[in-house]
Amino acid sequence: MAERSLKPSWLRWVWRVAALKNGFKDATAYRIEFLFEVLGAAVVPAAIQWVLWYALFKVGGMNEVAGMTYTDMVQYTLVSLLFSQVRGGDHDFELSELIRSGQLSNYLLRPVGVVEFIYIRGVAPKLFIASICLVIGMVLGLFFGFDPMRMFGAMIMALVGNIIHYQIGAALASTGFYWEEAYSVLMVKNMIVSLLSGELIPLNIFPESLQWIWKSTPFYLYVFGPVQYALGRWTHAEFFMQMGIASLWLVAGWLLVKISWGLGMRRYLSLGG
Amino acid sequence: MTSQTVIQVRDVRRSFRSPKKEEGWKGTLGLLVSPKYESHEALKGVTFNIESGSFVGLIGANGAGKTTLLKILSGLIPPSSGDAQVLGFEPFKRPIEFRQSISLVMGQKAQLWWDLPAVDAFDLIRAIYEIPTKTYRDRLGILTDLMDVKKHLNTQIRRLSLGERMKMELIGALLHWPQVIFLDEPTIGLDVLAAHKLREFLRVFNQQEKATIILTSHNMDDIERLCSRILILRSGEMIYDGPPGKLTREGELMLRVRLMQTPTSEELQAVTGLSAKSIDLKTGESAGEENEDGSDLKSIYFHVKQDQVASSLQKLMSKYQVVDMGMEEQSLEKVIQRLYEDERG
Repeated sequence: MAERSLKPSWLRWVWRVAALKNGFKDATAYRIEFLFEVLGAAVVPAAIQWVLWYALFKVGGMNEVAGMTYTDMVQYTLVSLLFSQVRGGDHDFELSELIRSGQLSNYLLRPVGVVEFIYIRGVAPKLFIASICLVIGMVLGLFFGFDPMRMFGAMIMALVGNIIHYQIGAALASTGFYWEEAYSVLMVKNMIVSLLSGELIPLNIFPESLQWIWKSTPFYLYVFGPVQYALGRWTHAEFFMQMGIASLWLVAGWLLVKISWGLGMRRYLSLGG
Repeated sequence: MTSQTVIQVRDVRRSFRSPKKEEGWKGTLGLLVSPKYESHEALKGVTFNIESGSFVGLIGANGAGKTTLLKILSGLIPPSSGDAQVLGFEPFKRPIEFRQSISLVMGQKAQLWWDLPAVDAFDLIRAIYEIPTKTYRDRLGILTDLMDVKKHLNTQIRRLSLGERMKMELIGALLHWPQVIFLDEPTIGLDVLAAHKLREFLRVFNQQEKATIILTSHNMDDIERLCSRILILRSGEMIYDGPPGKLTREGELMLRVRLMQTPTSEELQAVTGLSAKSIDLKTGESAGEENEDGSDLKSIYFHVKQDQVASSLQKLMSKYQVVDMGMEEQSLEKVIQRLYEDERG
């Protein structure tokens, strides 16, 4: 008969490692698709930003925007690319689709937490990308005179941001238990994240009176925060304070997921079979 | 709960509420502005026990509540009221130990990952259930041999045929050697040989491992060959609980008669006093086969209760010349078919 594990859930690491491996294999099953996804996601936003900065500084003749020169902006754009690649993926959409289609049932009966399982499988390629971006960042750091260890800390922050992003996405995906479809909710979240994470523009160019908007969300911890630290624009003290804030967001996100999924599961219908 | 009872179901009810959309633009706008809901009671107070090591068939027409019952027993959804216990656990609480001890295979739902070969999925399942490597290899060997899919282990799931995929799904569901297995249409899409192999495996698994298996299937071959007990659901109510043989023995018999004359169904109804549904002019089980005497006289089948046989024959013989007659026990498929027809009025 079946093996029965009496270990507490958090000590059962074997399946977590296996899920990481499995997720990586799944993400890279189509090599060309994988490479295009990574490169496409990097090149397009960078090109848009470069055109914008070129228009403002070179064509428009401006010298500074919010205290940042053309060189500062280009540096920001280049380094932000590294962290944008690590920002949360689409596994919250996968959760929402699992709820809608009833395929969630396949995971609910396995002796693992479904939200964590989907995350681990989904984050596997991001960890691979993060390690490549870290090496690129450290080399860039040496070339431009930044501290490579700052890049390491910044990447840790970006990975914590990745978890927070998923927690928020998972909580929003649970609206699928009530409305059956959570796609639009997640799309709107992603659009807001694109703006408030610093992926498209540095957040310090927001008008002073509107700075509270991005400061009151955790999204700036995904890209803007890591870039600021990597480029030496945050002190170590500021970085550790921000990591403390990130930890609070992690706890809040965990609670949010626990509550939203606990309530949502009572309404799950396991449709489609 | 007695020591051998692994599944205990007491007065389980389950209803669903779903939005109702009327036709056309008015219906679309209505659904946006003020949606109307309708309730549907899928299970209406179902009660039964299942003993350890049983092989039970759960049958019923589409929408009878079979899958809902399996979902409740496996812990996917809670009952609206009543009590269900599986292996001493309340299924919907889904404690880890419960999930390690059961398996649910739904023929309509893929559990494996489409873009990966099955062997990668099985390796992940091995890790999830913490199956020791040697045990895993032994089990995988047994299962792949039995299902004859060893050569497909390294092929992407999406490139397999429906039958091969289904076999892989079953292997994935059984690798942890569950104590209770819920199978919802497991032979769907399988060819005759594959279905036979699967049935044989389930029979052996049930006997050797004393696993309790609950099987839903529209294929009465599956049910007749495997299940020592069947539960029949009709519109959410349990209408039969017992061995399949009892159902065929106690059910209607088929009185097969060949007449010199060729009366119409209406004439036969008038003579015997039986309803049109009870008289089968064309679709008897051996209709269309050539008669032993080489004649082209067609057999007529009368679905009658045991106590109606003599009187029906007497009435027929008073009006027609009977060439040949015989009694046939109805197949389970026929009995179930008639139960479904009764349901639809």
